[in-house]
Amino acid sequence: MMKRFLSQLNGLSVLKWLIYLFFFIFLLVPLFSILLVSFTGQPVNIFGSFSSQKIFNSTIQKLSNMSVEAYTSIFSEGNSYFAALINSLELGTGVAVLVTLAVLPIAYAFARTKMPFKPFFAALCTIPLIMPTFISSHAFVLMFGKTGWVTQLYHSFGGEGVLFDVQSMLGIVLVQVFFFFPYALWPMVAAFKISDVTLEEASQNLGARSWYTFMRVTLPLAVPGIVSSMLLIFTVSFSDFGTPIILAPKDLNLIVVESYREIAGFFNWAGSAVLTVIMLIVAAFFFWLQRLVIKGREYGTISGKPTKQKLNDHKGTLVGLTIYTFLITFVPILAMGSVFLSSIATTWGHHALPDGYTLDHYKTIFSLSGKNIWNSMVLAGGTLVLSVVISTFVSYFVVRRGSSGLDFVSSIPLIVPGIALGIALIQTFNTAPIHLTGTAILLIIAYTIRRMPYMIRSTMSSMMAIRKDIEEAAVSLGASTLIAALTVIGPLMLPGIAAGAILVFVTVIKETSISILLAPTDWAPMSLAVFQNLLRGEYYTACAMAILIIVIVIILQALAKKITKDQLY
Amino acid sequence: MGSVKIENLHKQYNGNTALEDVSLEIREGEFFALLGPSGCGKTTTMRCVAGFETPTSGNIYIGDRNVNLVPANQRNCGMVFQSYALFPHLNVFENVAYSLNIRRFYEGGLGAKFTTLAHMLNRKLGKVDRVTEQKVRDALDFVELGHLADRLPGQLSGGQQQRVALARALVMEPAVLLMDEPLSNLDKKLRNVMRVTIRQIQQKVGITTIFVTHDQEEAMSMADRVAVMHGGRLVQVDTPTALYSNPATKFVADFVGSSNIYNGTVKGVNEAGETVIQVGQNQQLRSTYPTSKKDVEIIIRPESIRLFAGEAPANEENILDGTIELSTYLGPTIRYDVKVGELRFEVDTVFEAGSPILPSGTAVKLQIDPNRVVAL
Repeated sequence: MMKRFLSQLNGLSVLKWLIYLFFFIFLLVPLFSILLVSFTGQPVNIFGSFSSQKIFNSTIQKLSNMSVEAYTSIFSEGNSYFAALINSLELGTGVAVLVTLAVLPIAYAFARTKMPFKPFFAALCTIPLIMPTFISSHAFVLMFGKTGWVTQLYHSFGGEGVLFDVQSMLGIVLVQVFFFFPYALWPMVAAFKISDVTLEEASQNLGARSWYTFMRVTLPLAVPGIVSSMLLIFTVSFSDFGTPIILAPKDLNLIVVESYREIAGFFNWAGSAVLTVIMLIVAAFFFWLQRLVIKGREYGTISGKPTKQKLNDHKGTLVGLTIYTFLITFVPILAMGSVFLSSIATTWGHHALPDGYTLDHYKTIFSLSGKNIWNSMVLAGGTLVLSVVISTFVSYFVVRRGSSGLDFVSSIPLIVPGIALGIALIQTFNTAPIHLTGTAILLIIAYTIRRMPYMIRSTMSSMMAIRKDIEEAAVSLGASTLIAALTVIGPLMLPGIAAGAILVFVTVIKETSISILLAPTDWAPMSLAVFQNLLRGEYYTACAMAILIIVIVIILQALAKKITKDQLY
Repeated sequence: MGSVKIENLHKQYNGNTALEDVSLEIREGEFFALLGPSGCGKTTTMRCVAGFETPTSGNIYIGDRNVNLVPANQRNCGMVFQSYALFPHLNVFENVAYSLNIRRFYEGGLGAKFTTLAHMLNRKLGKVDRVTEQKVRDALDFVELGHLADRLPGQLSGGQQQRVALARALVMEPAVLLMDEPLSNLDKKLRNVMRVTIRQIQQKVGITTIFVTHDQEEAMSMADRVAVMHGGRLVQVDTPTALYSNPATKFVADFVGSSNIYNGTVKGVNEAGETVIQVGQNQQLRSTYPTSKKDVEIIIRPESIRLFAGEAPANEENILDGTIELSTYLGPTIRYDVKVGELRFEVDTVFEAGSPILPSGTAVKLQIDPNRVVAL
């Protein structure tokens, strides 16, 4: 009896240590080794150091030569890394500010007015999140490029040249503004809803006009929420790889592109390591800042009954807000439409509309790129399985066994930009004893780690919904904790797990930076195929593949939503 | 079936003492209630027996077996939870069959292990064996729920869920049945019905039962013996009647039923051997309780005082003069608040049809048997 108990107890704790080991090998060691490389300036083989005396000696040798030179030289005159960092910071700040300003009226309209068509606009706001940014970027080229249809329209009204240069900082900023704004919108809507209505009424009672009330009472109360989403947008923009890789001109250095070129183009390990460390520090700092802001925001958020809010129904305001919201939310739809038109065009660029229509591009992708579609499915499927297993047990250990260590480790990926994770993994697993660079396994692991915090969030919430006494009941009826987890907790968590798993699948199919950096030719997924087609100038097939990605994403997301809605119990 | 013995149980949670030196012996087949206000340690005690809490020190025996090191799933304790904790994804039948399936999984051969696990994961896979089927049917018939075997727990009423939980715990033929505030989620009427149901089922099965409750009425009406707990300690373990008539402390007297409680000073012992106690300014009460203390607490139950509008019949009992301040009609009884000097007495009298309710201001005599004046 006793023996049986011990063996099961060990089964669970062994599992826990295996998960720790996974994060240790594939997250902590790579990040640490990147840090070492940035100081030594030479590749460091950490795992090799423990398996071979020779490598160990050479590692010691390298470590003795550590210096901060790589970092100090950044600040010397004309260093391209420094320029890249500054440009990236500028980009992030610009996008964060612009998004905030652009979204403010929309958030207000959603939270506090009787604006018509709210559900319609809400649906439009999901479009930007469906499209991978490098596809959105190409869509902007299709619209505003030299032969873009907007440019053509502009010409037909007598304009000359282009409205603006898409392949520039401005182009990148605009794409990111139009495709990242939903990240800020919903938190801001929540912030506006939270602000205490009674305070506003008090202000109006005291004779204040409504715009004055808005500026002096409503807005200040919503400020923490707004600042927090601003910081979030900064991090998203700073870490985004898809937009700059398509739109950044040769003379515009951005840190993500720079580090990609260093590792993929010049195999400059030291340089890419330094850039990765800088990226991590910036992302971590802003993440910490955002947490700080949210922390101070705990006033008045939780009250039993939602206070009934008086919604603004001023006619002029409503008309203005409706038109404005439509303009902002309609741009992504136009972009998507442009990609679609391009995917069925024989040629496009001489007039505002394509010269003719054809389905040949779809035939091409299904005949020539069938392998990419298959790869995407296999990779996403593999990631799904690995994510489900790890995140289910992580949430079990965190929620039921109070393991704060696992909670912390598994949320580290939140602050690691995709490109940084990719570079760290490439460098760490490039040689024996664990040689994984260029294999599908490393790709799957990278996807899994990158999406882990989101997956865990979804499994954790369904785990928390299961009361502890349900598990205790199973145990009192004779089941060991392991069997109880398998027969009771598992089935109850299933809807949450399924929904989370589908979303993991979706994000893997969309994932750009990791795919571009890590995918070997044999295992190129759809997103990489689109990317390579764009680079080769095969725009029409790229668009056809992009539409396929978008369709798959839409279907799967609808499915995930249905599953969470249909929760049985 | 088994007795339960708890020896010197201590439990500490990061420095806070939850249980202090709790020792209990629960006889085989006994219905034993743990009674006390929230935070008194009654639930912790029961969870220690169930194996969900590990005591800081002390021993627990179920039958003759020391279960200190036995994990919860091998203690053979059937448990009914406050929230019933039915498995929401399994229907009534599968809920009740759970423990039998688990047993088959552990004790069966490889084939049985596989088919049982498959069946538990998806009830359409494989079938429960005939013995299990029969046991579950019997258990459900026993709690009169045979006709609801295919329902999901969410489709049942509170009382029905309660009975499923009971059947689920009983079908494994546990050594002890543990019930954690099982009636607190039911409305008052249903609670009274379930009290009787649970008691009857317990009597029929003859199973040793530990019942945790904060409701003294529940404990008194159902249990063979009651342990009153307070601040992590046992205060008194006794039969309901003894608990009521001879409370060991003021806390017990106060917690179990309502009481008149006064501070008094012992004046001496009279020739009849009764203790004479001064209460308030100038009232004297005689009590048959021996006491060696000088300052005592006097406890008198409201219904052990008799009230007379005119002269009280002459006998050897305490007589006090008072005035009615408030009369409250409670249905079967009338509660009088009577002022005696600066003291107030609560007096319960049986309401008889036709007899009048005395109005406020009526001068009355109170008669109290010295046997029922508890001095502590």
